[in-house]
Amino acid sequence: MKNKEDTSSTTSGDEMAGGGDPKWQKDAADQNFDYMFKLLIIGNSSVGKTSFLFRYADDSFTSAFVSTVGIDFKVKTVFRHDKRVKLQIWDTAGQERYRTITTAYYRGAMGFILMYDITNEESFNSVQDWVTQIKTYSWDNAQVILVGNKCDMEEERVVSAERGRQLAEQLGVEFYETSAKENINVKAVFERLVDIICDKMSESLDSEPAMLAGGARGQRLTEQPQGNSNPNCNC
Amino acid sequence: MNEEIDEYDIYHQDFTTVSEWEVFIARLEEILNDWKLTKTKLLRFSEYTKKWISKSEDIVFQGIRFKISYNMLEPIDKKDNNDTTDDKFIFQEIQTGLWNSASKFMDDLDGSPYPVSNWFGLKRYLMLCSDIPLVEGSIIKLVMSSINIAFANVNCGVPVFAKIREHWQHNYQGLYEDHEYKVSFDTIHLKRISNQCSHLSGLVSLFKSKIASPVALDAVIVSAKFSYELKDSDSFAWRKLTRSNEFLSIDGFDVKKLIQLPFGSEKNPVASVLLNAIWPKFRESTIVDSSTFSDIDPIMAPIWMVSLQLRDQINCQLSDTVSKVMELLDNNFLLMDTLGLSRSLGLVNPLHKITEAPITISKLVKAAMGQSTNVSEFKGPIPDDLLMPLLYYVFPDAVDDNTFNYPDQLEIEYKGDGSDNKLCNYVKTSPQGGLVWRLSVTAARLYDAGGLQYLAHLWYEFTQELQYRWEHRILVPGVAEGAPNARTCLLHQKLQLLNCCIARAAEGSSIFAGNSSEDEFYDCSESESTEEQPPWDRPVGRLHRLEDASLKNGAPLYVPRTQDPAPKTEDQLEEDAELMVRLGDDAKASELRARMMSASLLSDMEAFKAANPGAELCDFVQWYSPRDWMPEDGGALGARMLLPGNPWMETWSVARPVPAVRQRRLFDETREAQQVLHFLRSRTVSAVAELLLPAILRAGAAKAIEEGASGGSVSVGGIDKRRTFEVAAREIYDAEREACRSLCVRTVFGEGREGEPLDVAGRARILAAAGGALPPPTRREFTLRVRDELAPQLMRAALATDLTIIGAFTERTSTIFVRSEPVTSCDPCYQRARIVVVVGASEIILRVVFMADCGRWCDRCGRAGQALCCDVSVSAARIGVGECVECACARPRSPGAPRNRSVARWYARSIPGRARFSSKPDNK
Repeated sequence: MKNKEDTSSTTSGDEMAGGGDPKWQKDAADQNFDYMFKLLIIGNSSVGKTSFLFRYADDSFTSAFVSTVGIDFKVKTVFRHDKRVKLQIWDTAGQERYRTITTAYYRGAMGFILMYDITNEESFNSVQDWVTQIKTYSWDNAQVILVGNKCDMEEERVVSAERGRQLAEQLGVEFYETSAKENINVKAVFERLVDIICDKMSESLDSEPAMLAGGARGQRLTEQPQGNSNPNCNC
Repeated sequence: MNEEIDEYDIYHQDFTTVSEWEVFIARLEEILNDWKLTKTKLLRFSEYTKKWISKSEDIVFQGIRFKISYNMLEPIDKKDNNDTTDDKFIFQEIQTGLWNSASKFMDDLDGSPYPVSNWFGLKRYLMLCSDIPLVEGSIIKLVMSSINIAFANVNCGVPVFAKIREHWQHNYQGLYEDHEYKVSFDTIHLKRISNQCSHLSGLVSLFKSKIASPVALDAVIVSAKFSYELKDSDSFAWRKLTRSNEFLSIDGFDVKKLIQLPFGSEKNPVASVLLNAIWPKFRESTIVDSSTFSDIDPIMAPIWMVSLQLRDQINCQLSDTVSKVMELLDNNFLLMDTLGLSRSLGLVNPLHKITEAPITISKLVKAAMGQSTNVSEFKGPIPDDLLMPLLYYVFPDAVDDNTFNYPDQLEIEYKGDGSDNKLCNYVKTSPQGGLVWRLSVTAARLYDAGGLQYLAHLWYEFTQELQYRWEHRILVPGVAEGAPNARTCLLHQKLQLLNCCIARAAEGSSIFAGNSSEDEFYDCSESESTEEQPPWDRPVGRLHRLEDASLKNGAPLYVPRTQDPAPKTEDQLEEDAELMVRLGDDAKASELRARMMSASLLSDMEAFKAANPGAELCDFVQWYSPRDWMPEDGGALGARMLLPGNPWMETWSVARPVPAVRQRRLFDETREAQQVLHFLRSRTVSAVAELLLPAILRAGAAKAIEEGASGGSVSVGGIDKRRTFEVAAREIYDAEREACRSLCVRTVFGEGREGEPLDVAGRARILAAAGGALPPPTRREFTLRVRDELAPQLMRAALATDLTIIGAFTERTSTIFVRSEPVTSCDPCYQRARIVVVVGASEIILRVVFMADCGRWCDRCGRAGQALCCDVSVSAARIGVGECVECACARPRSPGAPRNRSVARWYARSIPGRARFSSKPDNK
C-alpha cells in the first residue's frame, strides 16, 4: 500500500493503489482470506434479492425486508480447495430510478446473480435489459448466473422453469430456480458462481504467458504486493 | 562362512538386481513397461498432428543423472481405437518414415525436442540423455549395452537413442530391433572434413561400403541442399521508416508528424539472408561431384528457398517510446517538482505529508492568484515556437485554423464490437483521435525527445489551459459528451467530469443571471393553471404526467423534475465503495449506508412533493417503486414499506416540498471542477504516466494494426493496471517486431510467400542483390538413400566447417547357425541340453537349448513342456576362453559385459545350488 500513502495527501480523487482493479486485492485490514471476489445481485425491484442474500449470509428469512436504498453489501467467507475466498456480495436496489447509481458499482464485480421472480412476468421480461446493463458497465469476463426466485410459490408461478432455462441457454449463462424462503438452491448458486469465476480466472491466466513469464517486472512486484500476490489461483 | 544359508532366502531373493548396473537396467525396463512401450501394447495410429508430446523420468547411474524421455507426435485420436501394433506394423512405419524423411534436410525443424525424429523420419522415439556428456568409450558402451538389454527384455516397440559425446556435437546413437531386423542409427561428428567425405562421390562410396550388399545395389538416390549466407543485406531495398525526433529540428518541424507515433526499426533489421539451393531428388550418376570435378551449380538447382534472419536486437521505435514512458511508473516525485513549480501551485509533496486537509477554495484561489504573479513569469524548457503549435494541436479550437479540428462525433468503441481480438483492446480506451490521444501521443514523443522537463512543461501548459477553460466556461474539445464513461481511461473520465462542470456552470450562470422567478421551472398544462389553487400550494417542477395515474386524493400524478445523480469518475466511485465497505456489514452499518444513499431519495421525494401537493408516500411509491404499491388495496403501501422505521418512511417524513432547482445541489460543479484541476496538477510522475499510458498504448496498437500487425491473442481482465500495461507493451513489441519482419519479407520476397520456393523474378532479385554471383556455400548437405533387398538404407552428410554424418542401416537379425554341441555337464539339468553358438548380423550368442521334456518352465510366459533356450550375448561381453556358461552368467558384475537378466533369473529359480554363484561364490 506504499503508493496509497505516497499520494494520499492529494485530493480525494486519488486512484493509485485503490484504483487498480481489485480482483486480486487483499484488504490490508483483513488478511484473513486468500482471495476476494466481488459479486453483485441485480434484478427488478422486489424479486427477493435482499432475502436471497440474507438467506445465504445469515441463514435467516423474513417475509418483508426493507426495500434496499441504493446499494448495500454483505460479506461471507467460503472455502474452496483449501483457500479462503472472501465474498463481498453487493445487494442493489431494483428500482428504475436507481439504475445510474447501481450500475456504477458493476465495474470490478467478478460475478453477477441476475434474479427474477417466477411469480412476476415483468421481472422475467426485464432480464434482457439487465444483461445489456451488465454488458455495458461490467468487465468483459464477469460471470453471470440467471436465477428464478420464489420457486416455493408454485400456485402463483407465471414463468415456467422451462422458459427460464431456455432464456439462460440463449444468453449463454447457467440457470437455477431458487427459494430464499425454503432455502432451495441458495448455497448452490453462490458455490457455482465461485466455481465459474475460478475456472475463468485460471483460464485467462493460461492465456497470458507474457504475464507469467514475468519479464522485467522484478522490483515492481514489491511495490504492489497485494496486486500480484499469487497469480496461480488454485482456489 | 559356515553359517547356515537359509534356502528360503535364496529362493526369494532376486539376484538379478544386485549391482548398480543391473538396477539401472531394471529401472529402464520398469519405465518402458510403465509407459506400455511393448511392441504388442503400443496403440496403432494412422494420423498425427504436428505437435510433439513428451514424458520423461530421471535415473541416476554411476553418479550421472540420466533423463529418459519418450517423445511422440500427437496422434489424431480416433475414439475407440484399440488396435495395437505388431512387429510388422512398427517396422513398416519406421521404414516408410525413413524413406520419406529424405525429402527433409537435417537442419529442418519439426518441433521435437531432439533432431533424430527429423533425421530419421520417426514418429516416436525414446531418448536417454545424461546431464554431463558421455565422452569415454567405456561408459558409452555400458550405456548402449544397457539400452540393448532393456530394449530386448521389454520387447520395446520404439526406437531408443542415447545422446553421447559432447552435447553440442548432437551425437545420437540408437537402435530398433525385432526378431527379424535390426536398425542401427548412428551419428559421426568430425570437427574437420575428411577428404573422402568432402564431395558427393566419396560419400556415395562410403554409403555403399557401409551397406556392404552382397548383390549389386540400385542407383543411390540423392537429395542435396547448398546454403548460402548473403551478408550484405543492405543491398536489398530497405525502406527506412519514420525517424523519431525529426520534429524537433525547427527546419523540418511539422506538427503532422506528431500525429503519428514512430514505428518500425531505424536500422535494417535483417542480419542475414539465407539462400538454400535445393535438388530434391536425383540419381547418383546424373550429377558429378568429385574431388577433381564438380558440375553442381546452384543457379541450376530446381528450388531456391530463402529465409531471413533478423538481428537479435531490433530497435523498435514505437516500443522504445512506450517503454520509456513505462519507466516513469517508478518515479514517485511530483511531476511539477521537475519544473520547481509545486510550491507556487500550492502542491505539497506527498512524500512529506501523509494526510491532507481538504482543499479549501481559498487555497485554490491563492494558487490561482499565484499563477498570475510568479507563475506567469514561468518559462518552460520547450521553446515557444515548438510549444504553441503543439498546444494548438491539442486544443485546436483555440485558433481559427481548421487543420486539426476534432471530428464532430467522437466515438467510444464498444467492447465486443466484432468478435476478433484487437491488439491491446483490454486497455481502457478513449475516443480515437480525441484530445486524450493527441495529448498522450504528443507527451510520449516530447518525453522521448526532451526528457522529463519537456513532459512536465507540456503537462503544466495542459493543466493551465484547463484552468482557463473552467474559469471562462469553455468546453474542453475532443472529449466524448456526457457523464464520465467508465469504459474510457481515467484521464478521459476526468475531462468528461470537467466538461460536466463547465456545462453546468455555464447553464447555471445564465439561469441565475436571467431571472428570479421559478416560472420557467414548472410546466403545468394550460387547463391546470387555470384551476384554482392556493398560492402556497402551487405545484412546481413538474416534468410530465405519469400516464393516467392519480394520487390517492384523486389529483393526477406528475413526475417531477429531479436532480441527476452526480457524475463521478471511477476513482471516486471506488472511493465511495471503499468507504461503504469500511463501515462493515452488520445491521447498523447497513442502516448507515441506507442513510448515506438517501440523499438522492430525499431530493426526489422533495421534488415529488413540490410537483404533487398533498401527495402521500403511497403516491410517491406508485411512481418510484410500483411493485410496492398495491392498486387492489386502493393504493396501499406494500408490506416492506410499512416496516417501522424504514428509510423510505423516515425520509418521506422529513422531506419538504422543494423543487429540484431550489434544492441543495447533489452535484457541486465548482468543487468538482477544482478537484479535477487539482488532481491533474498534483500528480506524481508515475501517476501522470498512468494517465497517459492507456491512450499511448491504444494509439500504438492502432499504429501497429495500420502497419499490418495482426490482432492480439491475449485476453486480460481483472489484473491491476500496471500489469495490464506491461502485457500491452509486450504485445506491441511483439507486433512491431513482427511487422518489421514482414516488411523485410515483403522487400525480399515481393509477390512470393516465405517458406515457398522463389519464382523466377525472386531468384533474379536475390541474385542481383548478391552481386550477380553467389559466394561459396556455407553448408552443404547430401541425403543418400537406396532400397536394398532388406529395407531402405539412409545416410545423410552435412558439411559446413565441421562434418556430421548420420546413418540408418537395417540388417537382418535372423541368426546364422554355426555349431551345436551337447553340453558336457554332470548336472542332470543339462542332460540332453545342447549349446548352440549362433552368429547374428551384429552379435554372437551362446544359446543353451533344453529339450521339451526337461521339466523347466518358460521364464516369460511360465509355460512348461516347451523347448527352452537361454541366450547369452557374447559379442559385447569379453568372455574368456574356456569360461563355463554358469560363470559367464554369473560374471556380469564386471562392467561392460551384458547379461541376459532372464537367464540369470531362470538360473536362480531353477538351480538353487547354482544360485549361490551369483550371491556368494565363496561358499562353493
